[in-house]
Amino acid sequence: MAQIFPERLNNLPLAVGLGAPLGLIGVVALVWYFGSPWYTQVGYQPTQPVPYSHKLHAGDMEINCRYCHAAVETSAVASIPPTQVCMNCHQLAKKDSALLQPIRDSAASQQPMEWVRVHELADYVYFNHASHVHAGVGCVECHGRIDQMEVVKQEKPLSMSWCLDCHRNPGPHLRPPDQVTNMRWAPSAAHDELSAQWISERHIKPPTDCWGCHR
Amino acid sequence: MTDYWRSLGELEGSPEFEAVRHREFLEGAADTPDGISRRTMLGLMGASLSLSGLAACRRPVEKIVPYVQAPEDMLPGIPQRYATTMPFRGNALGLLVVSNEGRPTKIEGNELHPATQGASNAFAQNAIYELYDPDRSRVVLQGGAEKTWADFLTYWKTLHAEHVADAGAGLAIVTEPSTSPTEARLVTLLKQRFSQARVVTWAPLGNENRQAGLRAATGAEIEPVYALDQARVILSLDGDFLQDDPDAIRMTRAYSAGRRDPAAMNRLYVAESTLSITGIAADHRLAIPSGAIAGFTLALATELGKLGVSVAGVSGGGTVFDAKWLSAVAKDLKANAGTSVIIAGAQQPPEVHAAVAALNAALGNAGKTVSYASAGTAARSRVADLQALAGDLKAGKIKTLVMLGGNPAYDAPADLDFATVAAKAANRIRVGLFVDETSAVADWHLPQAHFLESWGDARAIGGPLSVIQPLIEPLFAGHSVIEVLALLESAEEKPGYDLVRETWKPVLGGDFDKRWEKTLHDGVLAGSELAAQSLPAADMSTIAKLASFKAPQGLELVFLPSSVVYDGSASNSAWMQELPEPVSKLTWDNAALISKTDADGLGIHDGDLVTLALGDKSISAAALVLPGQAVGSVGIALGYGRTAAGRAGNGVGFNAYLLRTTKTLGFASGLTVTKAGGTHVLAVTHEHWSQEGRDIVREKDVAGHGHSAAGGHDEHDAHDAHDEHGGHGHPPLVSPWPERTYEEGPQWAMTIDLNSCVGCNACVIACQSENNIPSVGKDQVTRGREMHWIRIDRYFSGRPEAPESIVFQPVPCMHCENAPCEQVCPVAATVHGETGLNEMVYNRCIGTRYCSNNCPYKVRRFNFYNFTKDTPETLQMAYNPDVTVRARGVMEKCSYCVQRLTRATRDAKLGNRDMQDGEARTACQQACPAQAIEFGDIRDPKSRVTASKASPRRYDLLAELNSKPRTSYLSRVRNPNPELSA
Repeated sequence: MAQIFPERLNNLPLAVGLGAPLGLIGVVALVWYFGSPWYTQVGYQPTQPVPYSHKLHAGDMEINCRYCHAAVETSAVASIPPTQVCMNCHQLAKKDSALLQPIRDSAASQQPMEWVRVHELADYVYFNHASHVHAGVGCVECHGRIDQMEVVKQEKPLSMSWCLDCHRNPGPHLRPPDQVTNMRWAPSAAHDELSAQWISERHIKPPTDCWGCHR
Repeated sequence: MTDYWRSLGELEGSPEFEAVRHREFLEGAADTPDGISRRTMLGLMGASLSLSGLAACRRPVEKIVPYVQAPEDMLPGIPQRYATTMPFRGNALGLLVVSNEGRPTKIEGNELHPATQGASNAFAQNAIYELYDPDRSRVVLQGGAEKTWADFLTYWKTLHAEHVADAGAGLAIVTEPSTSPTEARLVTLLKQRFSQARVVTWAPLGNENRQAGLRAATGAEIEPVYALDQARVILSLDGDFLQDDPDAIRMTRAYSAGRRDPAAMNRLYVAESTLSITGIAADHRLAIPSGAIAGFTLALATELGKLGVSVAGVSGGGTVFDAKWLSAVAKDLKANAGTSVIIAGAQQPPEVHAAVAALNAALGNAGKTVSYASAGTAARSRVADLQALAGDLKAGKIKTLVMLGGNPAYDAPADLDFATVAAKAANRIRVGLFVDETSAVADWHLPQAHFLESWGDARAIGGPLSVIQPLIEPLFAGHSVIEVLALLESAEEKPGYDLVRETWKPVLGGDFDKRWEKTLHDGVLAGSELAAQSLPAADMSTIAKLASFKAPQGLELVFLPSSVVYDGSASNSAWMQELPEPVSKLTWDNAALISKTDADGLGIHDGDLVTLALGDKSISAAALVLPGQAVGSVGIALGYGRTAAGRAGNGVGFNAYLLRTTKTLGFASGLTVTKAGGTHVLAVTHEHWSQEGRDIVREKDVAGHGHSAAGGHDEHDAHDAHDEHGGHGHPPLVSPWPERTYEEGPQWAMTIDLNSCVGCNACVIACQSENNIPSVGKDQVTRGREMHWIRIDRYFSGRPEAPESIVFQPVPCMHCENAPCEQVCPVAATVHGETGLNEMVYNRCIGTRYCSNNCPYKVRRFNFYNFTKDTPETLQMAYNPDVTVRARGVMEKCSYCVQRLTRATRDAKLGNRDMQDGEARTACQQACPAQAIEFGDIRDPKSRVTASKASPRRYDLLAELNSKPRTSYLSRVRNPNPELSA
């Protein structure tokens, strides 16, 4: 009677026996990692339609964040500036720069710019800039040293566990409200006492309820 | 305790109902709509899973698109509010519309406008859906082919020159009723230019009879303005003033205000054929056919005459029905002369309205509980005009027929055969929101601009003038009726803005721009209420004319305005189609509503197809047995059975217009009902979410109020529901879990006053609009999958032939402090927050549905299907950006509008101030015309909700479960006439 399986398949049971658990562990590990807060978009640095330099504008020239991100103190979104805001300066400064052509085109054609979002939260997260600015959380806490970035990249994980670290213990991340946009501000030696005082003065009580951010 | 029931099936304990009530989700609820079973589905999923593999692990790139030039006063993420006005059945509703980045997303009432006073109704809420309806007409059509607006201009200029030459002979324009001063001005101009032209106004439902009756009684062109808050005794004769009246919002507000103080409560008597929400609100209801109302009114006048009210010329007669009832009502009206009021329904003949006006005058009510204002320049529907036009069309006398809005080819009286005769005109032009039945008759179809897209103006009942301010540019390049009228008149295009301002220049006088801006901002012109005229000597002899009405024999058919699609104009709204009709709880259909007695006699059951025949006309319709329906009367809602409404409205229900003629606009006698064989599935929601006869609705009589049980229906002590015990003889309640304390921040809570609630449905649609709730379709509703976060239960008690009492109970999430749902969720997707809210976390939910099974109040809704996946692009614009759009497989429920609470809390914090009571309002609370819902912080001892919770009428649902609901109810109080209750 002829053999059903050729001899070269003799090792198959062993290969499957070892391979299948390994493969399974691999899948679990992949899901585990990619579905976890450790897997984030840190370092995400997309190319923008115009190579706008925050280092130049916010760093060297010290233009305040709020000149462009005008809604940050009142609205949930910080707001990306309308083309008109760029043109306020650039109809005089560097008005022939080739790099600024898309901005001039946008102003002329009334077609909006399409910037690429860098700091992206899931759709079910309702983050509010105004609340954080009002509480005295500096821009730098979530966005990093924007004033040193030629091209903006994501520096913090923006994961839920990272959010909750601060929501559970906001003290270390607070500063005087007038220093919110100051990228170089450093806490003093007495920060712990000061922050405790701010928390009681400003009634800072970050929500840790689900509906604080998701709804 | 009274036994309450919601459906006949429940009362009789039918096997179908038994099958339903034991299941949280109806049998087959987990099946997909096309019948694929779960097992097949798993097989398919396995296959597709292996195929989808590891595709697309990266997040998609998201773009941020800012403005080129930011509009002034507008910051992204902060909604704006603009005042505007909705033309509504010859009234004008002042609205405040919420706009997110230029998209109108939510309608609220305007607190400064007398017609809404901050509240709204389902139809106003639905304006958002209508604006974004994906089936709205988008292009100019000629003979079905796409054309441009410029083509039409060329066409009209030629035609215009021809009509200038013949002074408009052969030109006819059909408009909808309107109170717009600008429209009236343009029609006057048009008639000056085309002296022979005729302008006909038509709407299938209106107050023509009331107007005619008042004209007969007083000789004046006036309309009544009711002050129900001044009334101690109200008698409604077949009039659903809480739902169908154009002024229902204001009347509901006033009526409910008159019931708030149990010591000085109004008393409502209703005599009607088909059970309405007004009939449900009534302290005493008499079910009599609509055709018998005339006789009943005469009998009432006779009775009043006996009591010394001067009703000259009345010498007996009329149909008494229930002598005890009649005498009690007459005595009450007489005793409260000057603070009583009689209201007649719009479908009643002019003679009844004339008699009612005369009776109100005789009782000294005129000028007190009812005043009269000049009807002004409003264009009102007149069936005689339409009849004359149809005659001329038939005779070939009309060359050009222009149909501005409306839908006469569908809703004109059947004997006019309007669609056929209209086709005889050589030039047929139609302006409409939809390419509908009337567009099919027309040669040219022009897209109409929605009121949220156009400038206009309107006058509310009683006189308040306001401007219609657009919230958005026309989405589909539509033109408003006034723009088209101006074009028809002058053959030149004029922007609506200029037309309206031209009208308002003489109205506002000097300092025009400043006063114009103030009017736009406020949403109403201050001081524009017309001075109420007292009734100019009513002609008492009109009452005696009622003697010519014979008592009806056999069956009658009553043509009712639909409480959800009205005359068919809201047919294509999935929101409205899925809104359970308040009384029958029927969705996605109309039905021949028939009394239990008649149904038993004819051997008819729910869902049986019957043939309704009137003379030589007949239609087939499904029957629905409605407790409380008058014997000898069959009611059917208009506005169904449409063929060109759009994707939601086509083929839904049965077209009753086919039986309605110029002579029988209100009701018709001589109906024959025969079983047609076959059945029709009716998606009725009243058996869903059964409470299994538990004691959850409570009502008392005024006499029993504040006492333990004396005289009341309710044997519970009012206080026992919220003490430490679960009721009489119940051991103290203890929680198996450590109970949470709520000592910081606002602690949100709600009360719902069953004594104020009239069951009008405004809250349901307001919630749907605010919270992005999907509509699921008829098939899904029959499987018990409707998604409304707040439902309005309707309970009957007594016999189905004559229910003793009927109660509405709106049920949102109770936000229990010891929430049973939270204990069973395996993934903590429903948890408790610090402000006392029971939070539902969509991104955690894995869809086990344990929470829903364990919810004693049946308020959780599950996304069995991806209901939002195929939402058309235009309807996506209606979404509230502050609320997650849920996907398949997650549970959802009332959130107390947490997005509004968060915004109010944050605004207070950003402004460094304390939140004021009433700053955070839920959508249902804001929409409620009866002010039945209070909401706020129970830690604030001065808040309105705290005061409401302290009411002796307060009780919690199923308090014996120790779930500690944050939503409480105030029991209903009835104010029966002791003479009748004995």
